Amino acid sequence: MNRLDEHLAAARKEVLDLDFTGPRAWKDAEAGRACIGFFPVYVPQELIWAAGALPVTVWGGGEGIEVEYADARIQSFICSISRSSLELGLTGRLAFLDGMLFSSLCDVARNLSGIWARNFPAKLCEYLHYPQNDKSDAALDYYLDDLRRLGGQLGAITGRTVTDERLGEALDLYARRRALLHELARVRNLEPWRLSLEEFQVLTRAAGLRDPRHHCQVLEEVLDDLPKRDAKKRDGVRVLLEGSFCEQPPMELLQVLDEAHCFVVDSDLSRGLRWCREALERSGDPWHDLAGAYFRHAEASVVRHKDPAERSKRLVERYQASHAEGVVFCTAKFCEPAFYDFVLHKRALEREGIPFMAVEFEEKMGSFESIRTQAETFAESILFFAEEAVA
Amino acid sequence: MSEPYKHQGVGQKIQKQLLGDWYQRLEEAPARGEKVAYLFISGNLGELLENFGFHLVYPEVNALQCGVKKVAGQNILAAEDLGYSGDVCGYVKNDIGLLSGGNKMPQGTTLPPPDLLVCNYAGCATYLRWFEALAEFYGAEMVVLDVPYLRGTQGPSPEEVRYVVRQLEELAETCTRITGKTLDRDKFRQALEFTQESEELWSQVLHSARRRPAPIDAYFEAVFFMAPIYTMRGTKGCLDYYRALALEVQERVDRGIGPVPEEKVRIVMEGPPAWPHFRKFWEMFKKWGVVSVASTYSKVGGIFDQGFRHDPDRPMESMAEYMLGCYTNRNWGMRSELIKEYMEDYRADALVIHSVKSCRSFSVGQADLREQFIRDFEIPTLFIESDLADPRYFAEAQMKNRIDAFFEALHHRKVTARV
Amino acid sequence: MHVAGIDVGSTQTKCVILDENGAVAGRGIRMTGADVLKAADQVVAQACVQAGIEPHEVAYTIGTGYGRYRVATGDDQVTEISCHAKGAVHLFPGTRTILDIGGQDTKGIRTNARGEVVDFCMNDKCAAGTGRFLAAAAEVMGLEVEEIGALSLEATESIKITNVCTVFVESEILNQLSRGRKRQDILAGVHRSIAGRSASLLRRVTVESELTFTGGVARNPGMVKAVEERLQVKVNAGEDSQYMGALGAALFALERELAGARRQEAAQ
Repeated sequence: MNRLDEHLAAARKEVLDLDFTGPRAWKDAEAGRACIGFFPVYVPQELIWAAGALPVTVWGGGEGIEVEYADARIQSFICSISRSSLELGLTGRLAFLDGMLFSSLCDVARNLSGIWARNFPAKLCEYLHYPQNDKSDAALDYYLDDLRRLGGQLGAITGRTVTDERLGEALDLYARRRALLHELARVRNLEPWRLSLEEFQVLTRAAGLRDPRHHCQVLEEVLDDLPKRDAKKRDGVRVLLEGSFCEQPPMELLQVLDEAHCFVVDSDLSRGLRWCREALERSGDPWHDLAGAYFRHAEASVVRHKDPAERSKRLVERYQASHAEGVVFCTAKFCEPAFYDFVLHKRALEREGIPFMAVEFEEKMGSFESIRTQAETFAESILFFAEEAVA
Repeated sequence: MSEPYKHQGVGQKIQKQLLGDWYQRLEEAPARGEKVAYLFISGNLGELLENFGFHLVYPEVNALQCGVKKVAGQNILAAEDLGYSGDVCGYVKNDIGLLSGGNKMPQGTTLPPPDLLVCNYAGCATYLRWFEALAEFYGAEMVVLDVPYLRGTQGPSPEEVRYVVRQLEELAETCTRITGKTLDRDKFRQALEFTQESEELWSQVLHSARRRPAPIDAYFEAVFFMAPIYTMRGTKGCLDYYRALALEVQERVDRGIGPVPEEKVRIVMEGPPAWPHFRKFWEMFKKWGVVSVASTYSKVGGIFDQGFRHDPDRPMESMAEYMLGCYTNRNWGMRSELIKEYMEDYRADALVIHSVKSCRSFSVGQADLREQFIRDFEIPTLFIESDLADPRYFAEAQMKNRIDAFFEALHHRKVTARV
Repeated sequence: MHVAGIDVGSTQTKCVILDENGAVAGRGIRMTGADVLKAADQVVAQACVQAGIEPHEVAYTIGTGYGRYRVATGDDQVTEISCHAKGAVHLFPGTRTILDIGGQDTKGIRTNARGEVVDFCMNDKCAAGTGRFLAAAAEVMGLEVEEIGALSLEATESIKITNVCTVFVESEILNQLSRGRKRQDILAGVHRSIAGRSASLLRRVTVESELTFTGGVARNPGMVKAVEERLQVKVNAGEDSQYMGALGAALFALERELAGARRQEAAQ
């Protein structure tokens, strides 16, 4: 296996590993290390790192988990990420975590923090409320207070105070990782056949389980090797995928899209690791800069209040910037925010004459045949229109 | 021969009248050039908005009215035609369906469009999505009043109160911009004085259920009695209502009457009612002599029976504290604590959890609550499921079976315990 | 003196007649069909024949099951949750947890030593994990429901059946068959899937030994094994499992008849 394939295999293994072997090994490697789990989306991971802990994505059990205990705590009409994440906890796989961080995302995720706190009372269980008043200066003041408070809580767990210096260093390190993740997306966007969607996803998601220093190195090597990869050019329609900001689609679904000639050239896949659009503005105050990430640099998502016209405008902007030809709404079953988002975006896309299709998934899906058929039909219809336009 | 009752039925009657008049005034508002604000029940702020002359529209109340009057089903279908999923909150879909059909309420009046959408985001993230949709459909201005979710065990922090107070002040400025009026401090004080007194009377009414037998059903009746304190708080009409209601309740106490002929089981009810099947749902409990002595849905617009009062001397701060303390803005530890206190304070025999599909804010965590109450506290707990707005999600036979099995078992255990 | 319990289920109607000592004197079973009253009359008649009595000689009757309010001959109604608990503890006194898989719903019941219901949980919203699921699997494979249990025990390979929906599982089974998978292996997967859903349900009431499996599906040896393996607990089941509701109802009838007789005596 060449280096690129090794990196892909390692990333895939870690992402599918429900025992979190990687993060556990990281924690055991040095005394005084801690691991803090986090749920999507706008989590300031730098703060966790600055407190001396590894931020670990706890984003459900994917297709590998059998939910048995969590079904008794969360009703059946609720998204599976909440149930499978709770299942990971109830079956002891997350005992290595020193705490869990939830944040305002939707009512389910918010309430999950309460279920978590009751079931794991010995561990830190924190909740961050992202300001939703985008017109008030008071929001920044509130958020700054809350970040400091959270920093204090994290420091108390790890025994490592979040100083300005440590926070500044964390911002630098995560800036580097961010730039590399964005570069990976950009490079893939140019030649989507070089790296499959599933490969892009595992390389991105692995970031949520690894020491950022290690993963930066991996990404640099991947970016180095990718142009030289022996990949056959394939035809396909370029699509923007939207709706997978929290619960992630099964890997097989991502493969099916590729196979159906739908090249996802921009998406909100793993949005929780890619929510900050660009380099942070830096002042002398790292706390201000970190808060600023949410206010000035965060990518739009339905889980954060915005004027709907603005949110749809941003979607169309991303669509145009990635030279996409269609939009695929790919949402988790029972994902309430995504349902609302869809209706308003649909109207905007119809006004703009942008073709779209919508599919739903859940973590444990038996068959992807119907999605394959839909995607193939969608790709064909876009090509058909393109041909018509040319003719 | 016993004296006829003087006060029975006023709670229902006057409340209905007040709402009827209110919908009438709403219909006439646009023609009169009067401004209309839409807002939500949890963390509502009528005292502030009415100061600027806004008429208030509560889409949640519209939805429950449509539910009770059996038209929510068709509104929901209309919203689904527009692309809303089957799994989206039925209240939201009712509203969207209503607006797409001309905003005509079942009792005949037409709702006016909003001049301002005040999204008091307290305890329900769906509120944000709802008003974003309305902002789009009406082309109306939307303001978010961001009320942070309560954490820990203590209640709001000074930072949280400060954040909300600042937003309230900014909202007042927005209201000035839209209406041309400035905040009338005297009128504000007067409104909060009415509010304070209404809250006191409402608390007395709720506390009456501590008695054995309870004179009121603190769920099936309380969800109607609560309407004025959540929609018209701060007005003289609201205060008069609670004075009249207090007399009705006192008469029940004096005459030994209550919601069922013979009180056999006292319960605490958690969760919204099945509005489209309200009567039928209540009958399933009445059959077993069940009386609700406390409920949480009756606190969805504010928890007053534990002593909190708005304070005319600290208007903005107390409003902020009130908003932060609404039931669904409390974390699960606090909600569980409150329910446990109710069980003890109101001397209940069992907990009934009605989990509704529409409302994740209420429902997610209820199954865990069930486990906590049965396993940790050894309190008999019944878990039933349906919906608060969508008439399709009520499986009558299954619901009845669960309710019968529970109260039957409770009865058997009581009988065996006595033997 | 004889008493009767009638369990009007969605699929089948059952009757059990007890004598004054609580011994089973007769049983009856029929498909419920559209005419609930007729089915009830027929099973009572069947049971009476075995007991050697006429229907009018039954001193006290209790109806249970979804159709309990429609049974004209019933003196009283008791939910099948209470009846299954009563019957299970009567037959297996060590019972503390009951799994009842019926034609259309599944129930988890926790009981105490006296057969009283301490907690219960129901999957009454869809056919996943119920007898219907097994019936659908049998039908799509061209088999009788009675044979699939034994067949599933002959499985040699492990196949995962992922669809929980009764409708979609049919296409999944056909898919597996077309890929050359053995019927035994597919059936084992189907049984395991139901055991998994049952486990989820039972977790809500807590599994406390002994577990008694009731309802028609408990006669399926493949299901008994699948549940035992999934929950790692000894399972009580038997030929009587589908009569558990009717037995419990008859036991309630006996209690009430004897209590009534005692009151009459005391009054005299």
